Amino acid sequence: MVEFSPEVVDSIIRIASFIAAGTALIAGVGPGIGMGYAAGKATTAVRRQPEARGVIITTMLLGQIISGSTGIYSLVIAIFLVFSV
Amino acid sequence: MVQFSPEVVDTIIRAAALLGAGFAMIAGIGPGVGQGYAAGKAVESVARDPEARGNIITTMLLGQAVAESTGIYSLVIAIVLIFTI
Amino acid sequence: MKNMDNPIKLQKEILKKTYLIALLPIVSALITGAMDVLLGFVFGLVISTLLLRLKYNNIRRALKMDEEKAEKFIRNRYFIEYAMYLIVLFTAARNQDLNFLAAAVGLFMMKFTVILWTILDLFKDSIQQKLESYK
Repeated sequence: MVEFSPEVVDSIIRIASFIAAGTALIAGVGPGIGMGYAAGKATTAVRRQPEARGVIITTMLLGQIISGSTGIYSLVIAIFLVFSV
Repeated sequence: MVQFSPEVVDTIIRAAALLGAGFAMIAGIGPGVGQGYAAGKAVESVARDPEARGNIITTMLLGQAVAESTGIYSLVIAIVLIFTI
Repeated sequence: MKNMDNPIKLQKEILKKTYLIALLPIVSALITGAMDVLLGFVFGLVISTLLLRLKYNNIRRALKMDEEKAEKFIRNRYFIEYAMYLIVLFTAARNQDLNFLAAAVGLFMMKFTVILWTILDLFKDSIQQKLESYK
């Protein structure tokens, strides 16, 4: 029968949680790509119609407020994994 | 035949659940890219038709809120994996 | 949201509405005496207020650039912002006086407010349309 000492059990769980925390951080790439796309479109839109600049800035601001949060979800999980496990 | 003691089995399951929680958060990439894409398209259409800005921004915000739900699903699954298994 | 044309007025409006909604958890934390929840929540709220200003400045700078350059600029700035969120949440998790979950909720508060207000406006519009159709 295979048995582990308590230190081995602890270290296996800690290693697993650190690997998982690192993997969870990958999710931060998504909002970056999306926001970059929106910014590119906004610059061409301002070139085409300079008088709509205010509306374009407000649209981008609201879009950025909302789309940044999926990254924070993954950060919350990563820090949970590191600290509370 | 290799036999595992109950503590070893528990350790392996716990480690696998933590790894699964980390992998689940990769799903955060999807909503981020999609919300940014929606913001880009909204900026484009606001510049094309500034009269309809109220409708466009409302539609963009509602679409982003709905697109967010897959990110929240993965967050819920990750929390369940961390705290109940 | 009322001020769609003016970004500066929109920021003030978002901040006012966010603080209005944030009064509820702050007052309930004060009544129950959970100081770590109160401090964590206010910490997240202050950081998200500062990051709103940062986002506005970044967008204004990006609009003067070419398309590809603006794409790269905003992407890099988002990663800087992500690192700031990491530092803020790390601090909240390490510090005993700050509640970690309350800090995370404070960071989400602004987004929650925007979505809630949009849905409320939508309901108001549909009710007004129905009232006008009866006249």
